[in-house]
Amino acid sequence: MGGDFAPGEIILGARQAVDELGLSVILVGVPELMGDPLGLDVVACTEVIAMDDDPAASVRKKKDSSLVRAAELVRDGKASAMVSAGNTGATMASALLRMGRLPGVVRPCIATPIPNPGRTPMVMVDAGANAECTPEMLVQFAQMASTFVKAHFGVSSPSVGLLSIGEESTKGTPLVKDTHKLLAELRELNFVGNVEGRDLVPSPVDVIVTDGFTGNVALKTLEGALKFIFATILKVIETNDETRAAGSVLLEYLLPVAGKMTPENQGGAMLLGLDGICVISHGSSNALAIKNALRVASEMDAAGVVEKLRLTIRPDQV
Amino acid sequence: MPDAGNPTSLDKATILGIVRDQLAEILEKSPEEIPEDISFSDLGADSLALIELVEALEENLATYAAGFHIDDEDLEGLLSVRDAVDYVAAKLQVS
Repeated sequence: MGGDFAPGEIILGARQAVDELGLSVILVGVPELMGDPLGLDVVACTEVIAMDDDPAASVRKKKDSSLVRAAELVRDGKASAMVSAGNTGATMASALLRMGRLPGVVRPCIATPIPNPGRTPMVMVDAGANAECTPEMLVQFAQMASTFVKAHFGVSSPSVGLLSIGEESTKGTPLVKDTHKLLAELRELNFVGNVEGRDLVPSPVDVIVTDGFTGNVALKTLEGALKFIFATILKVIETNDETRAAGSVLLEYLLPVAGKMTPENQGGAMLLGLDGICVISHGSSNALAIKNALRVASEMDAAGVVEKLRLTIRPDQV
Repeated sequence: MPDAGNPTSLDKATILGIVRDQLAEILEKSPEEIPEDISFSDLGADSLALIELVEALEENLATYAAGFHIDDEDLEGLLSVRDAVDYVAAKLQVS
């Protein structure tokens, strides 16, 4: 059980998911560190993978950690999904090593939904799992994200854009240009061509595919910029009595917008390509974020996302 | 066909076959695409893929030598398919 506000906010969010959403939640953690589990079932373990532990090595060394045990619950069919706000790399390593990859999947990827005013969220893959990618990997990420958007958001033919530095197919790194060629040949994907950084919000497409390094930088840049903008607006409102009066009117309209854009309301990122469901919640998750992450995990299970991904990815396509 | 549970029935060629098969599965390649002298980095195997390989080898080779284990501190020295084969062979005292 990890995260900046663990264990208190994590347990509270889990309790809320049980009470408000009717979900069944098992807490996995070290009882002595956990405190009051608020009446929830607990699977006890003895080790913790810290936020700064080496992801892959820690999964080998700390076999009785909450991350490894949670992934094993999913592998063994005792849980439908795992949710963690802990060490992202170790969460991915635990899930990969214990649940395994779906047949044909070269590498799992992180899919992060980004709010898209007026339409379903845009899903960006890969948001940080694979810093170095091949064109074939990006094609597979696009296929998996497209399937996820169909199953989870009900979009019948998700449009897919490739993140680049220009709309023309000749723009970008060799990876981008080679990926563009492959995506353009895939009839089962609704590939619409390159998109640019300014197309992240609002996005004209349902899926944006990129390598994990670029995706993570883009995501964090967007997150930082949004925080800055909202903080600046609040600061301006506090300038004098006149702006405060204007703010009292505007905030009623601005706060819901800000709420939609905050990570707490998004429910985290999903690992696609595993033989099980794993949702990675933000490291700074509060109870609301955890409740939403559990909701998303439950919805993925109900939508049969893993089985749909299994059908999407076939080894002969790789 | 080597005898399961008997490390003496293993030879280097069999170990090479096991390493290549496991790597092929992890990297979604055919075993023929994995020559003995290729480095893991040239194969595109990142640290997570290598941990997958280590866990797969431990599981697979346990049928020949119960409790077969690859020490984490030894991983840094394994840079190629040949390194992995030599390491396993030495560990199991296979010539």
